[in-house]
Amino acid sequence: MNLSQVLAANPKMKYIMFGGKGGLGKTTFSAAAAHHLARQGHKVLVFSVDPQASLSDIFQRDIFGKGATEIMPNLFAQEIDADRRIHDFQNEIRKRILDRYGFDKVPDEIESYIAAASSEPAMEESAIFDAVVDIVFHGEYDYYIYDLVPLGHALYYLSMSSIYDEWINKVTELRSEMQRYDKVASKLKSEEKSEEDEILTELEEIRRRINLSSSIFTDKEKTGFFFVVTPEEMTILDTKKAEGLFSKFGVPIAGFVVNRVIPESLLSEKIPDYLRHRIELQRQPITKIGEVFGDRVVGSVPEFERDITGLDMIAKVAEQLFGGAK
Amino acid sequence: MGEDKKEKKKGIKFGKSIKEFVYGMAAHDTARFALKTRGSMEHLFILITMGDMLGIPILPPYYSLRLLPYVVPQISTWKRRMLREKDFTDTLA
Repeated sequence: MNLSQVLAANPKMKYIMFGGKGGLGKTTFSAAAAHHLARQGHKVLVFSVDPQASLSDIFQRDIFGKGATEIMPNLFAQEIDADRRIHDFQNEIRKRILDRYGFDKVPDEIESYIAAASSEPAMEESAIFDAVVDIVFHGEYDYYIYDLVPLGHALYYLSMSSIYDEWINKVTELRSEMQRYDKVASKLKSEEKSEEDEILTELEEIRRRINLSSSIFTDKEKTGFFFVVTPEEMTILDTKKAEGLFSKFGVPIAGFVVNRVIPESLLSEKIPDYLRHRIELQRQPITKIGEVFGDRVVGSVPEFERDITGLDMIAKVAEQLFGGAK
Repeated sequence: MGEDKKEKKKGIKFGKSIKEFVYGMAAHDTARFALKTRGSMEHLFILITMGDMLGIPILPPYYSLRLLPYVVPQISTWKRRMLREKDFTDTLA
């Protein structure tokens, strides 16, 4: 099967993700897939959750922190600016406190907490995580393409959603128990009704957001997660390992795409020994990829003669990625 | 008619007094206990969500901030309770 056939066989697939080690071509494939689908008339959003995102580079346009930007008809790209999101979020919290209690300024100890909480390491990831929920929640695109961060981060992202989920369940449980005590007390005092617990409502909302995000990652019908591999011994081993970790989190792997294959056809031309050796050297890993991943390899893209930037080059990659035989 | 209304009002007032009397006799302690338990839980809740204020980092700060506006008034009593020294008078509380 090639990538087009995978998509045709899974008509409900809406979220497409490319994962793999850093520098293997995740962003390239994300852009190429977005380009291909947009050309077919689907409305596509490709977005990056990486603080050091490179969608701006590949599309040759500065889209960082600018929301969904139209690159060409039907193709939108977005890079999340986590710092700004955190900043806006802090202000929002301050405003809510001021409005709620009619303060002129946020009390000192509260203010210092807001500042301290925002500098914690988990803050950035959480902010991005939450931004993704906002993006996919609106559901206005036919396809969402996640340009994922390198493997370690992606796993962190996934494990975080399951930790958050447990955390929120515990806290919600405690809060509901508190509400039960409230009810008992007001019943004994014969009060008409106890106040609605706003915190419980907020917790439910947080839980809903977290569940939405993690359910997308583990949805077999709607989500296609593809690993990017290159014909190198080390990459193959790492990818195999990562596959195991991802399946532990229940992420269904839709296939593997091989990148950076130096075309064998070059051998018939007059080429330097250096390149000849490189081509011979990659034969063994390519055979190994076939052995290890078998028919789950859904595409193979050659090493191009120049960097993939700009729509023309992206179109070339898309052609290989979706039309290439394998 | 005016007299009637007055009588009715008196009746309601009397009923209410009885209700309060019975409540005081039978249920007040139970209600007080329920509220006290709830108060302790409130502090536990703030500890879980805002723990980093005392230097106890508890995940995740992003969502803690979302809850912060609701617990602002309770923060100072909670901190006092968590950080005070424990002694025998606590048992009298």
